[in-house]
Amino acid sequence: MTQVHITGVGMTRFGKHPDSDATDLGAAALLEAIADAGIDARLIESAYVGHVFQGMVMGQRILAQVGLAGLPLVNVENACSSGATAIREASLAIRAGENDVVVAVGTEHLTSQFAGALTPDPSDPEAAIGATMPGIYAMRATRYMADHGMTREQLALIPVKNKANAAQNPLAHFRKAITVEDVLESRAVADPLRLHDCSPVTDGAAAVIMMSDRAAAKYANGRGVKLAASSLRSGSVDVEPTSMTYEPLTWATALDAYEKAGIGPEDVDFAEVHDCFSIAEVLRVEGLGLFEQGSYPRAVERGEANIDGRLPVNPSGGLIGKGHPLGGTGVAQVVELVRQLRGEAGDRQIEGANIGLAHCRGGKAVGIEGAACTVQIVTR
Amino acid sequence: MTTSVMGASFRPGELEVRSDGTGNLMGSRCRACGASFFPVREACAGCLSQDLETIPFSTEGVLYTYSIVRQSTPAFEVPYALGYVDFPEGVRIMGQISGIDFEDIRIGMPMELSLEPFGEDDEGHPLTGYRFRPSEVTK
Repeated sequence: MTQVHITGVGMTRFGKHPDSDATDLGAAALLEAIADAGIDARLIESAYVGHVFQGMVMGQRILAQVGLAGLPLVNVENACSSGATAIREASLAIRAGENDVVVAVGTEHLTSQFAGALTPDPSDPEAAIGATMPGIYAMRATRYMADHGMTREQLALIPVKNKANAAQNPLAHFRKAITVEDVLESRAVADPLRLHDCSPVTDGAAAVIMMSDRAAAKYANGRGVKLAASSLRSGSVDVEPTSMTYEPLTWATALDAYEKAGIGPEDVDFAEVHDCFSIAEVLRVEGLGLFEQGSYPRAVERGEANIDGRLPVNPSGGLIGKGHPLGGTGVAQVVELVRQLRGEAGDRQIEGANIGLAHCRGGKAVGIEGAACTVQIVTR
Repeated sequence: MTTSVMGASFRPGELEVRSDGTGNLMGSRCRACGASFFPVREACAGCLSQDLETIPFSTEGVLYTYSIVRQSTPAFEVPYALGYVDFPEGVRIMGQISGIDFEDIRIGMPMELSLEPFGEDDEGHPLTGYRFRPSEVTK
């Protein structure tokens, strides 16, 4: 079976884009990825486009914009994992031998869709009684603090770290470093979480071009990195109440990815994880097996997750610093892995990294731990 | 009479409201393996049996965790307390918390189901929903 090579990446600035829409953003990211790959756009054989709130045939609108209409195209909705799921489906088309050159795009114009707290689908029983995504993560934070003795100040170090990284990322939504005091003095959203603990409402898009061995040998010019694994799981129904401070869904997805890539968590050099809220970063990295359960807040305090630390987490700024345009997020994470592995990450470059991991996890429905989870492993 | 102020259930099938003003959250119990689920399911996630019965859950449980929500959708007036309560049938159900000052809420508190007014239907008729409040026995 062929390997999957990522040979071109593109990403718009993340932030507020009042003068463009999800089509414009997706098209810009796609054109940049094509230019980055240095290929004739006619080589692209199929497309997978992730988004959440952009309406019917989002992908067709993007392809029409760039002259590629007519290709096999699948629009992908999987909550905050939509873009990452698009990458996974695109990679399967290559692994199956169906295509040699495919593109995955993730896009979202979120500022035109809503403001404030994201909620589960309105039909959901928990949405009907007032569940919000910040509220759900806040409850998990409350329990984590009780179970593991994490302090509010320790939790604040995560947005401090991620916004410091974002300040080094020219494409990030936020470009200003903050302090623990800034976090603790920001507006309360859902106790104990405050505004700086939350990812923002962001517009943005990203795209990656993937190739088979055969196509990469011809077109990659040695610049390709490998998508060693792209794994997807959906949340299972709890048969009995389980700990909400641990993520079996994240672990199950990661285990599949580690097995496919032939590595273990100890081999991962850096990670982009789904920090939709500060507490989420804690739950993700522990669920991925990158840090022991209950240990991450103190590891952050020691600087282990900084760009120059033992295992940098969210060097791009993460969802909290770089921004969270739902469909764009999972693709942008992989763009960051590729740029880090190519040594193109500028002021936030991690030295000597060979293996990067990206994790997305999104959505909520009553009775299930989480809705959609993805883990991608990219290697040099 | 309590019944005069009670409306129809805000989510029939999930919350049963009787004419005497009492009610229960409803779910499924698997006749094959005994696992319980909220809300009602078509098959058991544990053993895949489709032999499920619809049961009323106990009205008493224990608070697993909570948060005070200070920003929400326009449908909900903030702030309100949100919590997960573990019931003896082996289900964890989310609900708002009432009948207690926010600062007095604690993980592990015994809680009970409380039927309360919960908005109106499209025609303006009052609806009955549920919240969790600290159990009477512990007061």
